[in-house]
Amino acid sequence: MNDMLFFDRLQFAFTITFHYIFPQLTMGLSLLIVYFKWKYLRTKIEKYNSAAIFFMKIFAINFTMGVVTGIPMEFQFGTNWAKFSELTGGIIGQTLAMEGLFSFFLESSFLVLFIFGEKLMGQKLHFLTGFLVFLGSWASGFLILATNAWMQHPVGYEILENGKYVLENFSALFKNPWLVPAFLHNQMASLVTSSFVVASIGAFYILRKKHVESGKLFLKTGVVFGFISSLLVAFPTGDWNAKNVVKYQPASFASMEGIFQSEKGGAEIVLIGQPNMVEKKLDNKIAVPNVLSFLTYQNWNQEIAGLDQFKEEDLPNNIPMLYYSYHIMVGLGTIFIGLMALSLFFLYRKKLFNSKPLLWFIMFLVPFPYIANLLGWYVAELGRQPYLVYGLLRTSVGVSPTVSSGNTLFTLLGFMGLYFLLGLLFLILVGKTINQGPRPTKI
Amino acid sequence: MIETLIALLSILIGIIGANLLGYFSKKYSFGFTGNTLIGVFGSIFFIKLFGHLGLNPSIIMQTENVNYVLFILNLTTSFLGAILAVFLLKKLQHSIKNL
Repeated sequence: MNDMLFFDRLQFAFTITFHYIFPQLTMGLSLLIVYFKWKYLRTKIEKYNSAAIFFMKIFAINFTMGVVTGIPMEFQFGTNWAKFSELTGGIIGQTLAMEGLFSFFLESSFLVLFIFGEKLMGQKLHFLTGFLVFLGSWASGFLILATNAWMQHPVGYEILENGKYVLENFSALFKNPWLVPAFLHNQMASLVTSSFVVASIGAFYILRKKHVESGKLFLKTGVVFGFISSLLVAFPTGDWNAKNVVKYQPASFASMEGIFQSEKGGAEIVLIGQPNMVEKKLDNKIAVPNVLSFLTYQNWNQEIAGLDQFKEEDLPNNIPMLYYSYHIMVGLGTIFIGLMALSLFFLYRKKLFNSKPLLWFIMFLVPFPYIANLLGWYVAELGRQPYLVYGLLRTSVGVSPTVSSGNTLFTLLGFMGLYFLLGLLFLILVGKTINQGPRPTKI
Repeated sequence: MIETLIALLSILIGIIGANLLGYFSKKYSFGFTGNTLIGVFGSIFFIKLFGHLGLNPSIIMQTENVNYVLFILNLTTSFLGAILAVFLLKKLQHSIKNL
């Protein structure tokens, strides 16, 4: 049973990690495309329109890969997590179906119109189609987050005699206090990724002395949006999210922060340290006293519950991974704010486009927002353990009892092979598009 | 769980079909990127459309063993669906241009 649970979790972790590479870009990029198109409508300067069309091509490739890699997850609910689907399908089925029916079709239909219909529709309608693509992609994120919010903090449900969960109050799904902070944090993080991608393509063009005018526009836009979104990820959205974790999942919060024992008189914030699970302490730590209490409760002396306050069976089952994921995510977020602030300063001093070391740095930092986003999701999902639905349904109960671990491992290897091919195809398509550069043509 | 792999293989066959059409007939080419993207959606659309006739990966694996006849039919539908999607979009593009 343990082997089976391990391989089921590993397979889902692998497929969803690969999948989330794509939507995290499209959600943020759709907003930037709307910005470029809006600027074109206001100024009638062609480079803004070219930028909107160019990034819609990048969007289309990412969206398509997101669709393909999303298909296995739809199947996995039934194949690997049949018990979970059976028990909670009456609730999570609502938001997942709405995501497929409304957001996906809104996004895909208007994406085609945006790419093919510029001349047919005129500029204002073309802007509107871009806006509807943005609306579809953000609505999709909202509905997925609504599903996840219910798993993190279940509300508005009723348990039937046969053990199944059903909705008692539909609107409660959307009034869940977990939802809005998680959604805003996720969307801002997605905007960080897309801003870095836009800025790095700009830096690449400037360094290569190709499409330099567009490169400057991309870099400038990426840096401005990147700075704003990097700040918003940390505050207020990240802060709001963390306050929810401490309120609704205190054991996860203690694991994320590495608090093994409750400290009376205020909790320290750990900057660096290694969880020692045998001695239940952090090794080689560097910490600042009382700061965590202040950040969490605005009170320097407030006690924060440590892991010693909870039953062993209710603790997340991989505390070191949760701790490291959280600390690396926060560390990367801090680097992003610093880099974007520095780039903004260089832009203000009109030195950004000529500063080669900074351009190289911006270009090569592009994988890191992806890593930070994925680590953010690891924190959310590892923190919820050992539950699938926090406090209600344990992960070990949700797996399909009849699927063997060998079968799961075999298909996992199959996914790895097919995803390698898809990944290769994705890199070729994106590489070709970037190499062609922005020009107002159709794909 | 094999059904998931079948679904992904089916899409890959669709991508190959759309690109083969573009390669052999320039008239039906949107470029490698365009044909690939259209191939993905054409394949998914036609498998979903005809899935209930027995081409759905879940039906292919209903007996817990691969039904190879249905599997080949699935791949063929995906291949032809992708080609048809490219063909239809080219028609649509011409209609828009002539408006």
